[in-house]
Amino acid sequence: MRTMDETLPSFTADQPWTRAGVSRSPRRLRWSRETLIVRGLQVLVGLALLGLWQLAASNRWPDPVLAKTPLQTWHYLVHSASSGELWSNTRATLTAVLIAWVLAGAAGVVAGVALALLPRAERVLTPYLDAANAMPRIALAPLFIVALGINTSAKVAMASTLVFFIILSGARAGVRSTDAEWLRLSAVLGAKKHQVFRKILLPVATPAIFAALRLGLIYSLLGVVGSELISARNGLGQLIAYDSSTFRMEGVYGILILLAVLAVVLNQGLGLLERRLLRWQPPADR
Amino acid sequence: MVMTAPQPTTQRLPHSTPQISPQSVPQASQSEIGQLEPERDDAIAFEDVAVTYSTPGDDQRPVLSGIDLTIPRGQFIALVGRSGCGKTTLLNLVAGLVEPSEGAVTVLGQEPRAARRHLGFMLARDALMPWRDARRNVEYGLELRGIAKAERRAIADHWLEAVQLTHAQHLWPWQLSQGMRQRVALARTWALDPNVLLMDEPYASVDVNTRLALQTRFLDLWQSEEHRTVMFVTHDLSEAIALADRVVLLGGGRILDDVTVQIERPRDLGAINANPHYQQVYERLRGQLF
Repeated sequence: MRTMDETLPSFTADQPWTRAGVSRSPRRLRWSRETLIVRGLQVLVGLALLGLWQLAASNRWPDPVLAKTPLQTWHYLVHSASSGELWSNTRATLTAVLIAWVLAGAAGVVAGVALALLPRAERVLTPYLDAANAMPRIALAPLFIVALGINTSAKVAMASTLVFFIILSGARAGVRSTDAEWLRLSAVLGAKKHQVFRKILLPVATPAIFAALRLGLIYSLLGVVGSELISARNGLGQLIAYDSSTFRMEGVYGILILLAVLAVVLNQGLGLLERRLLRWQPPADR
Repeated sequence: MVMTAPQPTTQRLPHSTPQISPQSVPQASQSEIGQLEPERDDAIAFEDVAVTYSTPGDDQRPVLSGIDLTIPRGQFIALVGRSGCGKTTLLNLVAGLVEPSEGAVTVLGQEPRAARRHLGFMLARDALMPWRDARRNVEYGLELRGIAKAERRAIADHWLEAVQLTHAQHLWPWQLSQGMRQRVALARTWALDPNVLLMDEPYASVDVNTRLALQTRFLDLWQSEEHRTVMFVTHDLSEAIALADRVVLLGGGRILDDVTVQIERPRDLGAINANPHYQQVYERLRGQLF
């Protein structure tokens, strides 16, 4: 009899990485070039936006009160940072953002996974959850301020109402995306419920939870700043409110830019962690 | 048609592959995998089994009826039939995933659920978990059974070598070709040292050449140990006759025919369709299948 190795396609010829076009060093090289191009284009877009801003301010458009140049804004940021005002308020905002994100994130993951596993409870609670999620959060801010005081707790409560539902939806969708074949296989192999949860459901849900956490971090920032805009003793939102009321527009622009930078940095940081933890995903899915 | 026991094999594995023998394979101890019932001749028995599913309108839809089937230990049986004829339901009954509406199913003398520790399961899709590399996918069933890390690593390494995937042990599933994925699934199944192998169209998703290579590898492994019973579901009549000792044809939820394949082992899968007995069985079953 002819052996398989003589007559049949040889398994040892398998070269999956070249077949999938993911040979290690060339891919790194391509990624580096691609990264350079993307970064270069990002700098160009940033410079173009700055140019447009400068052009609008020089022409006092759309209104002389609003027309502050990038340089004026930069001077404001430098002055505010050197006086310490900017850092103390940034710290106050970020502290509330992280507390809300962690607490509401944890609660959202637990609730989302529980609802995915308990369909009857989900059917009962869904109308209430939808109604609560549809509420305009800004209307709840005075309620939190009265109940909790003008402090970090009110900001955290406000942001948590946004973050909780985002994470809940992500975790629920993640668990529901479980492939029935994995469950069938696990059942035949005698998996216990806690093993199915730990070894199947949680890993399956992780990408969706991470995507929700990234979105939730941004919404946590929005929630905290929104709360600070209404009433707060400190925080970047409170600074915006003060500068806006005194028509100090370079201050408003400076803090808005700072918030945008913070959002990008937080998002990128979480993205790095995500890529590290989800390195098993194909590059296109990361 | 007389049933015959599978022919003992004298084939040696190809030179480049490891020798597979019960002694050379690291295995979970009996205390870990559970005790088998005392030796019985039958691995699986269906006694007047019927399965009926309830539809949303509360109608009862019969899937299987009057199934009497006994599968001796060590036999390789293939189930063929059109889609919806109940092949996979038979497999699910043995796996304890479906309860019979009537009759009884026993696996190694036990209730199907109680016998799960002795089952291996291969699906049409490989069902590899994308968050586990090839080796950790092979280890999955061993982890569920509480096998110690060092031991399960040794078992996984052995079976990855047996399917010629040692070089790919640290690759993620997306980095593997479809044929390699199926071999990882095969290694995962074999790593549990199952007494009964349930295979639900395991080669349906691969191309013809890869399928032939996978089938050959599977027969090599199966023939190297004679105690494993195989229940193999397929749409492909040629595949069923080429691989199995016995082919059961299902239709309308019943057994339409039950044929013993009297072709000696080892079999040359590349040339088996020239065998007169193969052609005879093929014609007989094809006439009822189409």
